[in-house]
Amino acid sequence: MTLMLSVPLTLSNFSCYSPVCIDSSHFIMSLAAEAFVSQIAEDQILLSDCASSLAVQAYLRMCNLPVQVSYRPNAEYMSPSGKVPFVHVGNQVVSELGPIVQFTKAKGHSLSDGLDDVQRAEMKAYMELVNNMLLTAELYIQWCDDNTAAEISRPRYSSPYSWPLNHILAYQKQWEVRRKMTAVGWAGKNLEQVYEDVSQCCQALSQRLGTQPYFFNKQPTELDALVFGHLFTILTTRLTSDELSEKVKSYSNLLAFCRRIEQSYFEDSQAGSSSRGYSKGPSLF
Amino acid sequence: MATSMELRCWGGDWGLPSIHTESLVVLAYAKFSGAKLTVAPIDWTWRTLTGTVPELVCQGSTVTEPAQILNYLRKLRFNADYELSARQGADTMAYIALLEEKLRPALLHTFWVDTENYSSLTRPWFASRSPFPLNFLVPGHHANTALSRILLTKSDSPLHTITEVEGKIYSEAKECLNLLSHRLGTAYYFFGNTPCSLDAFVFGFLAPLHKASLPSSPLQNHLRQLENLQRFCDHILNAHFSSHPGSPQPVQETVDANLQKLTQLVNKESNLIEKMDDNLRSSPQHKPFRADPRPSPSNSTDYFQSEEPTNTKMNRFEHLLQTNIVTFHISVEIMNVHDEELDLKTL
Repeated sequence: MTLMLSVPLTLSNFSCYSPVCIDSSHFIMSLAAEAFVSQIAEDQILLSDCASSLAVQAYLRMCNLPVQVSYRPNAEYMSPSGKVPFVHVGNQVVSELGPIVQFTKAKGHSLSDGLDDVQRAEMKAYMELVNNMLLTAELYIQWCDDNTAAEISRPRYSSPYSWPLNHILAYQKQWEVRRKMTAVGWAGKNLEQVYEDVSQCCQALSQRLGTQPYFFNKQPTELDALVFGHLFTILTTRLTSDELSEKVKSYSNLLAFCRRIEQSYFEDSQAGSSSRGYSKGPSLF
Repeated sequence: MATSMELRCWGGDWGLPSIHTESLVVLAYAKFSGAKLTVAPIDWTWRTLTGTVPELVCQGSTVTEPAQILNYLRKLRFNADYELSARQGADTMAYIALLEEKLRPALLHTFWVDTENYSSLTRPWFASRSPFPLNFLVPGHHANTALSRILLTKSDSPLHTITEVEGKIYSEAKECLNLLSHRLGTAYYFFGNTPCSLDAFVFGFLAPLHKASLPSSPLQNHLRQLENLQRFCDHILNAHFSSHPGSPQPVQETVDANLQKLTQLVNKESNLIEKMDDNLRSSPQHKPFRADPRPSPSNSTDYFQSEEPTNTKMNRFEHLLQTNIVTFHISVEIMNVHDEELDLKTL
């Protein structure tokens, strides 16, 4: 699934170290995709960053833009907003899904052009729901649940650094996230309440999706990319307990939705990734 | 429910039952669901510093945070969302998330961080509502909380200053207002004919911005251009809070039935005009550039004033007559009724 497409777009996500570079003049062949998949197990990427990166990747694939994913240990520091993933196109660097969507739109690629005003409002609202609930819950579980923080997050986050920098950076990150949780009023919650919030969010998404293939009829939009990024990552990541993925698994239409996007946008490129290196649509430039 | 519920919240001013967003959300929801709350303003008490507002006290237990209070009220069978479908319930959650993520940072900035507003409106108001030594502490305390919340949630790195995120949060908030305006359209409430929890939240977020006399606010100016959102706030104030003792709008208490009918007619009419407008715009002969995302009804007159060749204008007019003749008739009829109503009123 973590295939790399050769492209003029380079996607960068931090812990996974993936900055995206787009080279307009020539296409780079995709490099060792399999090597990547196995490598990730030992990687430093965390659930929340992985989810955001996958969302951007899915979005670019839905736009038919060729993407090359590269993993860099310092991607977080390379990104203009300090958050991963970011794309590097020509001499421009854009980070996070929202700005990337705007950026591709300015270049003539958009998935939400067919929506009317009300649908667009709805799409933005659901995207904020995912950011507000799922992303915050992921951050909470990673850094505020002591078990997960000690066993998974801090060791992985600090893996590229040597002593004493590894401890300093990991605790600094944890402190930062905890302050943020306090600011948004999540600090007083316990793990059960957070799982409950995730469940509510999934229920809302499941209700909205219903039996449609995508959230807005037959065409995928950036909302589909975002939801896929988060749910797929939650489903495929092993944490200290399975409770988070169990919450998602109880919604069968969301599972089918993830499976569908994986099949249509990630699996078919596996066989002929080199031939698909050339973008089908117009190139970004 | 025989039990008495007491809500502790910030007091009212500027024509609002409370000037505090979260308190307003709870007050509005209580009105919509029919829950009888005893409002206990925390003004001039030590709770201004120590209390969490809003706070619902019922049968010895206290509930804080609007979302929790709303859930608590639902458990007591005060449910304003009873008629919503599951899909609408999901939409409610999504729009509340939109408000929290996009509008709240800019609102906090407008009231607490913007120096001009803070020193001429917010600080004096909160200082005057706090008891003696606290009047020096309370406003500053709130301002610090607001500033750190904006920085922690919106700033890219902990070292960034507020000026670097201002542009971003205001453009996001304006977009959020536009989206809400599109979603509301010409309706009175977001879902159907009865208010529900989403209406309470939107009202809570927008009403202070709508009513406060802020010396400087790009966000308020933006709201002034979105007439349907302003009408939404005014309508909720008139329909649900008009007999509030703190309200300095006693004139509104005698809501004239005729006037209401008239407003409804005018609304329907503008709805129709807008529809015609849209049909016209989507007609194949006419693909105009749409400068205003939500054309106001008055735009429809522009077709006859624009400076284009007469034959295109004629074509378009013909098209209007052909495709919209029915709507047009209805509209004209309504206008006539409208005129009669007006006559009635003047008599």
